Amino acid sequence: MIEFRGVTFVHQNGVKALDGVSLRVEAGEFVALVGENGAGKTTLVKHVTGLLKPASGSVLVDGVDTKEASTAQLSRKVGVAFQNPDHQLFSETVEEEMSFALRNFGFSPELVRNRVTWGLELFGLEEYRKSSPLVLSGGEKKRLTLACILAWDPQVVILDEPTVGQDSIQKERLAGTIQMLKSAGKTVMVVSHDIEFLWPIQPRVVVMKGGRVVGDGPSADLMQDRDLLGSARVAQPQLVEFYQELHRRPGTPFVHALDAARWAEESLQP
Amino acid sequence: MGDILKIEGLNFRYPESPRNAVSDFELSIPEGEIAVLAGPSGCGKSTLLRTVNGLIPHMYGGEYSGDVIVAGSSVKGSSMRDLAQTVGFLFQNPENQIFMFTVERDVAFGLENLGVPREEMRSRVDEALRLLRIGDLAQRAPHELSDGQKQRVALAGVLAMRPKLVILDEPTSLLDPKTASELVTLVARLREELGTTFVVVEHRLDLLVGVADRLVVMDGGRKVLEGSPRDVLFGDDAEAHGVAIPAVTRVQKALTESKGGRAVAGGLLTPSELASAVEGRRR
Amino acid sequence: MMWLSGGFIFRKGYSFYHRLDPRAKLLNSALMFVTTLLARSIFEMVLVVAFMVGLSAAATVLKRVARTMAFTALFSGFIFVVNVLFTRDLETSVLYATRFVAIVVSTSIFFITTSPDELEQVMKMFRLPRDVVFAFVTAVRFIPVMMLDTIQIMDAQKSRGLELEKGNLVRRVRNMIPILIPLVVNSVVRSGELAEAMEARAYGAAPKPTSLLEYRARRVDIGVACASVVLFALAAYSFYFVIPVQFP
Repeated sequence: MIEFRGVTFVHQNGVKALDGVSLRVEAGEFVALVGENGAGKTTLVKHVTGLLKPASGSVLVDGVDTKEASTAQLSRKVGVAFQNPDHQLFSETVEEEMSFALRNFGFSPELVRNRVTWGLELFGLEEYRKSSPLVLSGGEKKRLTLACILAWDPQVVILDEPTVGQDSIQKERLAGTIQMLKSAGKTVMVVSHDIEFLWPIQPRVVVMKGGRVVGDGPSADLMQDRDLLGSARVAQPQLVEFYQELHRRPGTPFVHALDAARWAEESLQP
Repeated sequence: MGDILKIEGLNFRYPESPRNAVSDFELSIPEGEIAVLAGPSGCGKSTLLRTVNGLIPHMYGGEYSGDVIVAGSSVKGSSMRDLAQTVGFLFQNPENQIFMFTVERDVAFGLENLGVPREEMRSRVDEALRLLRIGDLAQRAPHELSDGQKQRVALAGVLAMRPKLVILDEPTSLLDPKTASELVTLVARLREELGTTFVVVEHRLDLLVGVADRLVVMDGGRKVLEGSPRDVLFGDDAEAHGVAIPAVTRVQKALTESKGGRAVAGGLLTPSELASAVEGRRR
Repeated sequence: MMWLSGGFIFRKGYSFYHRLDPRAKLLNSALMFVTTLLARSIFEMVLVVAFMVGLSAAATVLKRVARTMAFTALFSGFIFVVNVLFTRDLETSVLYATRFVAIVVSTSIFFITTSPDELEQVMKMFRLPRDVVFAFVTAVRFIPVMMLDTIQIMDAQKSRGLELEKGNLVRRVRNMIPILIPLVVNSVVRSGELAEAMEARAYGAAPKPTSLLEYRARRVDIGVACASVVLFALAAYSFYFVIPVQFP
């Protein structure tokens, strides 16, 4: 679905933001992109929708080279929810805000109406249909930006730091939405620092450092690679740390990291 | 030691708002504590913080009753000038509280405003830079700093004014986890070195519960829970109020409540401490 | 915009000229400015420009000054054409055109070697009200931040299918709305946060705020200031009494 072939990108100020990145994401996959600030995650995402074009190498989205397509064309397939909702909300009403992209993509008025209603219901925003998006709370704004994107039904959904400023109830809802997208067969990419949020949903994890991909694999394996995560300044999930500490001690049977908590509980039963 | 912060029967309602942003709030924080304030989005945390450093009622109008007492003086009756020297406030976005073109000028900003003489200002600025270990950034411009560095610069500007109480409003929300945990370590160190009291609003409790003395949970403008982090997080209500229970705390709680749980009683444990406790219990 | 950023925005530098007291730099630029007005012949003007080019080279900003001159050349070409049409005097027209370039260069040298911090000190010296100075300071401070905001807003809207380069003029202007509204809203939010942060750090508390920076003129500053005055006097004297007036 998405393929990076040896992509290098240099910012105007001379900083190499991507350095020979090769990455393949298949349709229907769920990938988390982790790494410290400045590791190149957002730059990578901007290449998927052609907001940035590689200096060398190429990016293919659904078989199309991003150099050959406009951001508008690519966005029809790839919806990106950027970190800060205030960087996109501009309409008089929530309804208008949601219709914006659909009209840009040439949906019929009837389809626009149906999709908007569907999105508002899905995210529990019906009561705000006629309100200004600016009066919504931070959490609601984030949900609205996500609704705006899902409304045009892109094949790929990219979320940039979706948990920032969200409380635990909102995060749980978000995890539910991601689950829904997965079962609908969407390709989902999440850029996030929030390791504790990512751990229970077990994505494929891609670790970035200094513009390179330094680790790529299933969450359950990769999150146990303490050296790799340490060098990329990525935190380890608490449960994995606990599991590994436990495992380092003699007499601990092998169990899967995912089962550490349950096993610890069982092992203490008299 | 006495209470550095006392909130007594505080009610506040913004102009033209149908309901109170803060209701019947009571709180006492002893000097030298690190207190964490948690709660779901829109629960009134930000408003409460603004009543402590005096932005409410001095900058924002509204219906205000009750009292907030910081270091013995009522906020209502103190000038912003005095409050700025007792209460430091680190806002969520460091970008919007750095005004000057070089780090050292910005750290000096508050002192310049107070009219502190140059020699004293110099030494206080240097001290703040040293405390936050950013002396090497002194001549940098704000746009040359990383997010973590900006946060440190902003905190240095706050500490240069030598406040007794420092409020941190979601200080880690824009930082990556390693940088965030470095900031938490820094706060713990400053408390030890300076005896400063910290009130921290934070969603990410996993980083903070280890150093916090007190956890206060707000919901709907009211205080709903208060106690040691362990008591609050082990209780049954915290989660319903939107508090994220750290994963390892969940395990500790489960182990404590299971039949063989004696070994993991006590304060909140880090993952490796919990592993040791489990092992000790198994032997 | 390009012209502005090339010619007048400060960038960090470490030459002897960058490190001078801003007052010495201001005096020097002001005197160069006046000298360009005094020059009465092309020969004299060439001397003045040559001096400024030499100074730019010494201050390691020659490249940027050269770019400023290239951009200014467009305007000065216009001045030349207008003058030729009205005065029918080739020499006067050349003089006016080069004078315009020289004036821009003399001010540009000051601005590209003087940090916003130093500009602020200069503004204070002119006894501008503190609020005015501070408004200037924050405006300059947030230029890069707002540029970043603009890029992020454009990225977000393009990702929602907005095509900025498409359509006729009316359509293109309308396409700016989704960019401008978030930009304005963000700026308003930002100013609110700035106002709170200013209050929290006692802005306006003391009637006479102090300053961490102290500009004490060093020997080199005084030396440069004196040299500027002497050179100026020399130039003025020779323009009027030594160099034979070829023109007008």
